Amino acid sequence: MRKTVILILGLACVILFYFTFVSAYKVFRSEWQLPRTSAHKQAQYRLVLITQELETPFWVKVGGGAIEEAQKNGASIEVWGSYNKNQEDFLKKIEIAIDSKVDGIIVQGLDTEEFKNLTKLKAAFYGIPIITVANDVPMAESLRRTYVGSDQYLAGELIAKQLLSDMGHTGKVVLMGDSRQEYYQEQRLKGIYDVLNKYPNVRTEYAETADTRQQVIATTQDLMNRLPDLDAFIAVNANIAEAMIQEIGRRSKVEPYHIYSFDDSPDTFSLLVQGKLDGMIEQSPETMGKISVNLMIKWLTGEMVPLNTDGYLTDIRMLKAANTR
Amino acid sequence: MNSIQKKIWTLAAVVLFIMMAIWGALTYYNQKTQNQYNDILQRYLRMNEVTSASQQTITDLNNYLLAPNDANLVQLNESKENIRKARLEVIDLRNVDNDFALTNYMNLIDSLVETTDRSLMFLSEKETEDSAKAFSEATRISKYISDMTLTLLDTELKTYDRFYRSIIEQSAELKKLGMWLLLLITLLLLLFTYWFSLSITRPVLKLTQAAKELSRGRFDLQIEVESNDEISFLAKMFDRMRININNLISEIQQKAQLENELQQNKLLLQESQLRSLQSQINPHFLFNTLNTLSKKAYLEGSEETSDLLASVAGLLRYNLKRLDRSVTLYDEVKVLRQYIEIQKARFTERLQFHTEIDESCLHYQIPALTLQPIVENAVIHAVEPEENGGTIWFRIIDGEDRVTIEIEDDGPGMTELKIKQILEEHPVETEGHSTGIGFSNVVRRLRLFYGYEDVIGIESGSGSERGTKIMMKISKTRGNE
Repeated sequence: MRKTVILILGLACVILFYFTFVSAYKVFRSEWQLPRTSAHKQAQYRLVLITQELETPFWVKVGGGAIEEAQKNGASIEVWGSYNKNQEDFLKKIEIAIDSKVDGIIVQGLDTEEFKNLTKLKAAFYGIPIITVANDVPMAESLRRTYVGSDQYLAGELIAKQLLSDMGHTGKVVLMGDSRQEYYQEQRLKGIYDVLNKYPNVRTEYAETADTRQQVIATTQDLMNRLPDLDAFIAVNANIAEAMIQEIGRRSKVEPYHIYSFDDSPDTFSLLVQGKLDGMIEQSPETMGKISVNLMIKWLTGEMVPLNTDGYLTDIRMLKAANTR
Repeated sequence: MNSIQKKIWTLAAVVLFIMMAIWGALTYYNQKTQNQYNDILQRYLRMNEVTSASQQTITDLNNYLLAPNDANLVQLNESKENIRKARLEVIDLRNVDNDFALTNYMNLIDSLVETTDRSLMFLSEKETEDSAKAFSEATRISKYISDMTLTLLDTELKTYDRFYRSIIEQSAELKKLGMWLLLLITLLLLLFTYWFSLSITRPVLKLTQAAKELSRGRFDLQIEVESNDEISFLAKMFDRMRININNLISEIQQKAQLENELQQNKLLLQESQLRSLQSQINPHFLFNTLNTLSKKAYLEGSEETSDLLASVAGLLRYNLKRLDRSVTLYDEVKVLRQYIEIQKARFTERLQFHTEIDESCLHYQIPALTLQPIVENAVIHAVEPEENGGTIWFRIIDGEDRVTIEIEDDGPGMTELKIKQILEEHPVETEGHSTGIGFSNVVRRLRLFYGYEDVIGIESGSGSERGTKIMMKISKTRGNE
């Protein structure tokens, strides 16, 4: 009896001791240290990549390439921007970047007066170099150091040639563009016209539309009403392609039309896979990111001064619906 | 120090120690937590400070632009100083996650100051339009600072999310620890107190029981208390007292026995004296008469009768005088011979008496009238009733430290009961002894005289074997002299 009692008490003691010590250990172990000042010294250069279209596949790739390159070179980079081409937000981000005195700004070109003001006056005032990426704004207007991205003129040519080989040398083609008339869009149009104008049997019709969905649909309707015997569409601005195709689909079958666009919109690739888009110009967003960061660092270190003001062109290729299926 | 006191102090010290330990640990923990909370709060406060300082700067700048006087300028400079200070404090907040943003933040603050200065400069150069532009830019920057503050706070929350959660977890764990600690300490203290109280009360209980036994008169139980405090000392003293009492009691008992024996001795003496007085009624008359009778018999030519009468007279004188003192063996043997002579006159040839005496032993001390009554006993029982008479052997044999006296007869012997009665000194009916002194009287006197029990032994044949042998082993030196 006595032995049992002693045994039970001893057991209780041991159990209590165990739990107390486990609990005390949990309470007193100093695991929760505050994250301290980073041990590694600050990156040599602070760069910012600013885009109007955050989180689209195209810009995610650009950002990925840029971050990879920056890490390789020991620079720190952040990707800022606005969603859905919110220009106000976009410009604000640029201004913040300038006021934050980052070492370099890599920015998606925006062919507006405010943008040019910021880059030409404010950035230049603070001495911050700007490289445009993917979409260019002429050097004279923006004082950018250089441009990294596709040759939009070449892209226009490529898409026109593809159209000709698909459609033949006769037909009516609608070119639909954004009413903002940005620089890169003009370049594309120029490329297309330069090819198509050589063929007198190919009639081109240029239509401009605001970039709201309703406007795109209205313009498409209007076009199709006016010109019932259309053969091909080229969405010079990739963002209007989706609404345009939807409207065509509502009128008739999409397949008989030859429809082409570019890859810098989130929708175009899926349209291509669905077969609604006959061809798409694919650019190299990752390479753009890499090269832009690389050039910026080279410029900052003085390794390459000045940069080629004509820009550094990245690969483009034609992606056909037949190939992706 | 006293032991029980020491124990109590120990208990108090243990409890105190546990309390101190817990208090210390909790204080330490509390301090640590408090510091961390302070750090966290400090971070938020510093960021907030930047926002408010930047806003204050804008307000002051605006005031100054509207009314450029000294008072407003002083105020503006003050708020610029504030924002610079805030900027310096923000540097400490840098960590891996907010490195980039924080650098931007600090540069924004710089920009704000610069833009403010620019605005002032334009104002001093009377270029009001540029000044206003710079002011609006400063306002925008201030807004950006506020935005950035929010972003930083957001990052902060994300970065420290796990940290905050662990704080919450730990405070929950602390509650649990408190519970366990309470249980553990309660159990330990209960056990310790139980053991401690037992160590005091158990010896007391034992002592109480021992006292109870003593009060009942049991002095032979040893008092054992296993403890190392005053109780054990008390118990030891108690035990010693018990032993002392025990010794005293046995001493008293011995004394009482001794006194009892003394009393008996005195009684015996008185009895003897009474008898001797009785028989001394007129001893001189008897002597004289016997002597006269002896002379007369001698004169009448009956020499044998004359000798017999002289023996009787000698024996009588010896009997009367020597009872209460010691004599030598020689005297005893002489009286014995006189007695045998008388008896021979009575039994003639029926009584055969043989002696083997070691003459060297005759000077040893012996109580008076010890041999004669025994021999007389032998005569009465072994010779008188027999038709053919009997033989009595008397031997004195020298031993190492004792002299052995043997008286042997060939009579019918004694029963076991009788031997026992004699040796246990029960008074036996005397069957007409001449001296009036019985066997048991002799036994008692011998034992008293020599002080040991086995001074006399009796061997008696029973059944077909006959004869009784009485052996006295007397010490050459009296034991108590």
